[in-house]
Amino acid sequence: MSFNARITVPAQAKAGEIVEIRVLTRHPMDRGGQSDGKGGTVPRKILNRLTATYAGEPIFRFDMHTGVSANPFVSFTTRAVETGDIVFEWREDGGATYTRTARLTVT
Amino acid sequence: MAAIGFVVALACLILQTSGVLAEIRSGSDFLSPELRRQQADETRNPGFFWVEQGRELFTRKPAGEGQACIGCHAQPQQSLRSAATRYPQIDAAAGRLLNLEGRIEQCRVERQGQPAFGYETPELLSLTAYLASLSRGLPMQVRTDGPAQPFYEAGKAFFERRQGQLNLSCQQCHDGLVGQKLRGDTISHGAGTGYPAYRLEWNDVGSLHRRLRACSLGVRATQFEAGGPEYLALELYLASRATGLPVETPAMRR
Amino acid sequence: MSSAISPRSARNDRGIHRRSLLAGTAAGLVATGLALPAFADTPPDLAGLVARVTEGAVPERARIRLEIPALAENGNSVDTRIVVDSPMTEADHVRWIHLIAEKNPFPDMARFHLGPRAGRAEVATTLRIAQSQKVVALASLSDGRFVMTDADIVVTLSACIDGG
Repeated sequence: MSFNARITVPAQAKAGEIVEIRVLTRHPMDRGGQSDGKGGTVPRKILNRLTATYAGEPIFRFDMHTGVSANPFVSFTTRAVETGDIVFEWREDGGATYTRTARLTVT
Repeated sequence: MAAIGFVVALACLILQTSGVLAEIRSGSDFLSPELRRQQADETRNPGFFWVEQGRELFTRKPAGEGQACIGCHAQPQQSLRSAATRYPQIDAAAGRLLNLEGRIEQCRVERQGQPAFGYETPELLSLTAYLASLSRGLPMQVRTDGPAQPFYEAGKAFFERRQGQLNLSCQQCHDGLVGQKLRGDTISHGAGTGYPAYRLEWNDVGSLHRRLRACSLGVRATQFEAGGPEYLALELYLASRATGLPVETPAMRR
Repeated sequence: MSSAISPRSARNDRGIHRRSLLAGTAAGLVATGLALPAFADTPPDLAGLVARVTEGAVPERARIRLEIPALAENGNSVDTRIVVDSPMTEADHVRWIHLIAEKNPFPDMARFHLGPRAGRAEVATTLRIAQSQKVVALASLSDGRFVMTDADIVVTLSACIDGG
């Protein structure tokens, strides 16, 4: 279980309201460069990008480098437009991707 | 460089040792308000990932004949609520001192027929963090009498004995210099009530014994095996000092 | 008491001297017309890092706030919030916010891409700050201009480092 995410959105929001979205991710964000014990070095393995898509288009993108902490937290805002899923996709060094969704109910 | 700084800082502090025993305070009291807020906030405290993993492992059926933990411990929110406040404790059958990790491993080997996870494995840390979290907010209440007494005495002796190249006892700092600065840290009473804890230094959740190994290294003393008799006895003594303090697992620490 | 941690404070003292020296150098460049207003009190290497991100454009020191502790308990995870004063409309919004730590092994730490649908230009994250230094937050606005601010942070070492 090297990846997990805890996404916090308001239980519901009024149309047009600006809501804060908080994302805590479980990931070692390994900077690499340590000895691998076989004469080489461990390659970097971090989540390098988080994209959030809501109501048909990307609303936020977070490009991460080694300056982002292990088990990183990020928060941002978006305007509530319609009831639907906010889709989060992380991209990891090496090409793996992880997806989670969070439901935003708009009244 | 870091090592030299530590020694110099410690030496200067020791010169002013007063040795007054005050009321024991939680490690959280020595954090910044920001880190305390982060610890309390489930949307911010990464330790809850380990709790969540532990909850999942608790209900997962192991390979073979054995049943999941929850097969015996139904409704753990009630049945195991406050269990962690009584650890370490004596296992009546074996006459051994067991901490929460030891009890989980015992269940796994003897009742589930599975190989032990091993100290500091993500699985054992997660299960320990989950079970301890069921006692969040409840006061520590370990027994130190009867068969536990020799272990308590051993732990107390460990705490008070000067050790290592710096010739320091736990007591000299964690009673005598509490609240003082040691480089970037504030010296605490050494209460273990938040462990397993997410430590910024580790970028990870770790056990109390991992933390104790760091203490031993800090005073250039022998680092004992995690889960071994020395740190188990010390854990009992620390827990008895912390009697009445609430369990905080998963805490956040520097 | 401060003498108890003198090895470290001595280093900090040198750091301050070095910084004022560099600021003096930057001021000298201003006098000769080589540096531009936003860079006047920024060490040249940091100015270079900023200029690379803005492709030479000069950011204005306005409209952006960087909330980061002056003293970090541990550089492994530093709570950071950035707020840009922007209406976040189609016509006038923040396109992205970029974070730089001049003394990190990789100074470019992160970039947040926003748009009008954000409603507010307000983001937060947890950063790795390798050592005491200056951190820069730089925002690209929809009209092609840039705004920036910076903050000094002191990173202390945990007393009991176990290499774990």
